[in-house]
Amino acid sequence: MTQDVEMKEKDHTTPSHSVTTVVPSTFQNLKEIASLIETGSYTKEVRRIGRAVRLTISLRRKLTASVLSAFLDFALVPGSEAHTRLSVYLPKQDEHEMEVDTATSVSQASGKHLLPELEIYCYLLLLLFLIDQKKYNEAKACSSASIARLKNVNRRTVDVIASRLYFYYSYSYELTGELAEIRGNLLALHRIATLRHDELGQETLLNLLLRNYLHYNLYDQAEKLRSKAPRFEAHSNQQFCRYLFYLGKIRTIQLEYTDAKESLLQAARKAPLAARGFRIQCNKWAVLVRLLLGEIPERTIFMQKGMENALKPYFELTNAVRIGDLELFRNVAEKFADTFNADRTHNLIVRLRHNVIRTGLRNINISYSRISLADVAKKLRLNSQNPIADAESIVSKAIHDGAIDATLDHTNGWMVSKETGDIYSTNEPQIAFNSRIAFCLNMHNEAVRALRYPPNTHKEKESAEKRRERHQQEQELAKHIAEEDDDDF
Amino acid sequence: MDPKLTEVSQLFERFKAAFLRNDFDTCTRLLSQLKVSLTQFRSLPPLFEATPNAIDELNLARDIYEHAVVLSVKTEDQDAFERDFFQLKPYYTDAGNRLPPSPQEHPILGLNLLRLLVQNRIAEFHTELELLSSAAMENPCIKHAVELEQSFMEGAYNRVLSARQTVPHETYVYFMDLLAKTVRDEISGCSEKAYDFLAISDAQKMLLFSSEQELLEYIKEEHSEWEIKNDFVYLQKAKESTPCKEIPSLQLINQTLSYARELERIV
Repeated sequence: MTQDVEMKEKDHTTPSHSVTTVVPSTFQNLKEIASLIETGSYTKEVRRIGRAVRLTISLRRKLTASVLSAFLDFALVPGSEAHTRLSVYLPKQDEHEMEVDTATSVSQASGKHLLPELEIYCYLLLLLFLIDQKKYNEAKACSSASIARLKNVNRRTVDVIASRLYFYYSYSYELTGELAEIRGNLLALHRIATLRHDELGQETLLNLLLRNYLHYNLYDQAEKLRSKAPRFEAHSNQQFCRYLFYLGKIRTIQLEYTDAKESLLQAARKAPLAARGFRIQCNKWAVLVRLLLGEIPERTIFMQKGMENALKPYFELTNAVRIGDLELFRNVAEKFADTFNADRTHNLIVRLRHNVIRTGLRNINISYSRISLADVAKKLRLNSQNPIADAESIVSKAIHDGAIDATLDHTNGWMVSKETGDIYSTNEPQIAFNSRIAFCLNMHNEAVRALRYPPNTHKEKESAEKRRERHQQEQELAKHIAEEDDDDF
Repeated sequence: MDPKLTEVSQLFERFKAAFLRNDFDTCTRLLSQLKVSLTQFRSLPPLFEATPNAIDELNLARDIYEHAVVLSVKTEDQDAFERDFFQLKPYYTDAGNRLPPSPQEHPILGLNLLRLLVQNRIAEFHTELELLSSAAMENPCIKHAVELEQSFMEGAYNRVLSARQTVPHETYVYFMDLLAKTVRDEISGCSEKAYDFLAISDAQKMLLFSSEQELLEYIKEEHSEWEIKNDFVYLQKAKESTPCKEIPSLQLINQTLSYARELERIV
């Protein structure tokens, strides 16, 4: 019996090496990650596990079925419950090869005690692989199994891997268009994470839930959940960016434009440079919100590298609003209707009509000291049965809202612009000056408050090697975010 | 057929009969009985259990709530409308794929939009709007409400008022009447700022009064500061935005001191 195994082993070590040259290196890397997870789990250092997850992402493109099956055999005891559960999801290979792999690793793995971290990590690897191979249905089954398993594991060191799993769980369902199904499950997971004080998990799940709701345009539910879910200082920058983006969207729909603008701009700024898709989305929404607020976004926003094309419809839209030409606005809205529908911003654009009229009116108000309402209607190109009466009430509302400074003369049908007085004879400049200085000072104070000092810096100086390691980590993180967001959009 | 279901549908038939007779008291009484008996079906929201009669039960319940919404409009009870509508909503959103679409769906959704508009809950109005598909937006009932909101925001009030003549559904009239009142308040608010004075006859036309008497009463009640002098309504007294003569010294001192303090902190 033993001889038999040995025979096979000899037989197949050679071909497996020759077939794929990448195998040893990727497999080696995976082994290193596994040992990283092991030490992390024994020493209870969450940091190490986080690092392991980041390293995995860089390996993502190199994963193959054979590497994975080798790794499964290495990490889990072949023939054990966990092993059989996981290997189901791997595409079937040559029967022969499987046997051999089993044989080779029995000796290494059997002595080890199986760590839940490793098991969960194997799920993550598999899931990444299945999604990359576009086997979405298998990915769905695998992620559901992993989530079921996760519910029974309560260790802080698992949290980091778990939060990634949550993400891919939701992602695999999104890819198959069945997001609504897992809503209840996500809510349950969020509850569990809250009870276990797993803040990273809560953060991730809250975002996934918001995404889930917004996917179906359930803004009401999203806002209710958001306002009631516990908030704490963000653990992960990427999750925080997403949160800001979702928050901005909700607020835009609910007409809280000022707050929405703040969230969206912050999200766009905080997002890593490489996350292009995400930043484009943020910019699109931010442009709309600023237009709705009556601001005209600067041209540089539309000229950002790599975004010119994606933002072009919004650029033309901005142009139409800036000129205040209803006809042009209508044309742009029609021309890019498909884009706007795909971005699901169509309703916001309908809201913009009102701003176009306002801008047009303001231009007329500045240019003429007195103009008949018929001409106003003509200039605004109001298409209605009764343009003069429409123009009159629109002008009177604009005056009421303080958009223009004028009076109406009903008997003659005129709009008379008021003389703009000397602004410097009032307190206005003083107030503007004060608000700007207050802004700068506030910014400075915020910056001071935001400075962070890593613990123990006074004790040990950062060695060159450590610094290099840290830089590498940061880069990995940025790449990681970038890849995910590319997937998203 | 399930005896419970038969019982409820019989009760519902009686409700519908009373509804046709416009006997609203009986209707309200029967409706509360119906609502209680609906709680016994496990296939309805929020449980959504897949019982053998689920489709029939869901259909019946949806029908009942649709009638309840319309009844609340007829009895002019906005709170009841809101309650019934929220009970009805899951049947459209969550059970929509299992039931054949209801012909009442769009009129009721449009009615709800109109209610939000009347109550000036614009944020909720837009939230509801996001839930509608582009096909639903083309429906005359929904479109009516959406266009109303637009005209309302722009200030094209006469378009709002003329929309009353083109209501897509008889139940809309109640809310349109409420809206007309809101519009009148808006118009008077805007005119106050926009005009120095108006001829009484013009004001009467603009504020949609059928007689001068009504206008005068309205002015007395709502805008006692308006002046009426020989056939003209003077909406605002001559107000001069006087340029600032004196320097707000106290405020300036405070500001300058705070700058100094902050600067000191930086340096």
